[in-house]
Amino acid sequence: MKAIKTVTRRDFLKGTAGLFLTSTGLSAIPPKASAHAQTKVIVIRNADVVGPNSEIKHSLLQNMINEAVRILTDKNEAQAAWQSLFSKTDIVGIKTNVWHYLPTPKELEIAIQQKLVDLGIPATNIAIDDRGVLDNPIFKKASALINVRPVRTHHWSGVGSCLKNYIMFVRNPSAYHNEGCSDLGKIWTYPVVKGKTRLNILCALTPQFYGRGAHFFDRRYVWPYRGLIVGTDPVAVDTVGSELLRKKRIAHFGDDRALDVLPVHISVADKKYRLGVSDLSKIEIIKVGWRDEVLL
Amino acid sequence: MGFIFRILKATTLCITLLTCLAISNIAFSKEGVLMKTKASWLSEVKGWSPIGDPLLYNPKTIFQYMDGAAELYLAFNIRELTTIRFEKPDKPSIIVEMYEMASSEDAYGVFAFEQQDPDAAIGQGSEFGGGLLRFWKGRTFVTIFGEEPGQDIEAAILILGRRIADTIPETGNPPRILRYLPDTALSFSKKDAWFLRSHIHLNQRFFIARANILMLAPDVDAVLARYEIENGRVHSLLVCYPSSDKAKTALASFKNAYMPDAGTFSSVKTENGKWTSIDRTNNFVIVVFDAPDEFFAQSLIRATKDILIKEGL
Repeated sequence: MKAIKTVTRRDFLKGTAGLFLTSTGLSAIPPKASAHAQTKVIVIRNADVVGPNSEIKHSLLQNMINEAVRILTDKNEAQAAWQSLFSKTDIVGIKTNVWHYLPTPKELEIAIQQKLVDLGIPATNIAIDDRGVLDNPIFKKASALINVRPVRTHHWSGVGSCLKNYIMFVRNPSAYHNEGCSDLGKIWTYPVVKGKTRLNILCALTPQFYGRGAHFFDRRYVWPYRGLIVGTDPVAVDTVGSELLRKKRIAHFGDDRALDVLPVHISVADKKYRLGVSDLSKIEIIKVGWRDEVLL
Repeated sequence: MGFIFRILKATTLCITLLTCLAISNIAFSKEGVLMKTKASWLSEVKGWSPIGDPLLYNPKTIFQYMDGAAELYLAFNIRELTTIRFEKPDKPSIIVEMYEMASSEDAYGVFAFEQQDPDAAIGQGSEFGGGLLRFWKGRTFVTIFGEEPGQDIEAAILILGRRIADTIPETGNPPRILRYLPDTALSFSKKDAWFLRSHIHLNQRFFIARANILMLAPDVDAVLARYEIENGRVHSLLVCYPSSDKAKTALASFKNAYMPDAGTFSSVKTENGKWTSIDRTNNFVIVVFDAPDEFFAQSLIRATKDILIKEGL
């Protein structure tokens, strides 16, 4: 019998295929093919940003996002940091996430919007949207995008990531669900978003690290990490977010309990679409603020 | 004129086809699992009442309800899905999903694949945790979940679950293949076991290969068992094919793809210093992964074969 050419567990054991790659068949692509040699991701936390009744302290959150952007851009002041990413003439779409069990917090949307207004961008040139982005006039003519969503496990893509958050920029989202949504990176090559994203933010105030089934939200697997994961490289931000959830699963269950789907789309976005870095060893994770059970 | 006529004709045909598809695929059918259970559970429970008509999906339309998540149910031969929402003013909703599978083995398979919570003593096997009730009975697999946690809603979910289970008249057996794996007879004990029909789901529990090198399929029964030993885990996969010929082909396929370096031998030391062994008896194939040594792997295979012989297989 003629051998089937496939990636097997043994390739993984040899170290010639990362676990994510084994599910995508892309192990032949050499590591040098990554888009960037080094990338920076800020993990910023504040023990008081989420109160005992899950209320979010707006001023603390505003400080966190400002400080994250300042460190990310190597500036001395937050204003200068934001100015290095956006200009007054930009038309900005803030791509949020409205999944009602765990949406992007309004406080975070407002903090970002306020900072853009502070830069001198007219409020009429800023929009916050999720499911209506394709028909939103601001998003249609946007010169810049900010991608912000909570980090959580996801039934179809393994991890609800920044990459996944752009699925609403296509009319047929279900067409991207094959093989664990492996081709989500392709959406980032379409004109509606290509090259426009200046900032990627995973909200890790209360992430969900495990779940089962298509619709099920399980509060047992949500924990108050009280953090934000911020960067310009969506793949690196997602890699760090995914690693955070994995470390939490190990801490909670004693081992890395399998997700419904491996988050293969993150490494595919790196290796196939060159959107960023998925190799943790090539990501500089800068941890700021509260350090208890930081996990990363 | 002819051109316009052709466009009109094509448009009419498209609209007709789409309408037919919509009606045949999505509309509620009185032949569904709901009617088979007489739907007597479709009444108020602790203030929660059913809203609207139940929705029915078949294997072709189930993607419209749950998209990629449908793969699990399709692998276990789903025939029909019925869903309905229960609502109570100012309270989170309860969502009921009833999956009618081709066999009780399939219903068990869906249930056991993701089982993790304490038993709720409902149906033939159940679990309840975090506001989600899952159980199976006969050919039916049921999930009931509340959109938010809370004592009241969880009590309502359990009552609803018992009602539904009581209206399912048939019972069934879990897959026989589960009984063919050795348990505590040797110096190791079986920790977990999953009934499978798809290599995608096999890979979710224990990654073997991206391609379907063991030729798993809806008419193939497989069970993956995890054994805990002193210094790690050993996995054993027992697969029952419809015929000996298919088992022979699958064994050859696996050896070619996974252990080409084994040549005519049935064991190989893999890159982690552990052993993989494979064997076949009639229409069964047994593979042991990550055994600490070849003798251990062969012992586990032999113990499995002994059980198959005792069962007259």
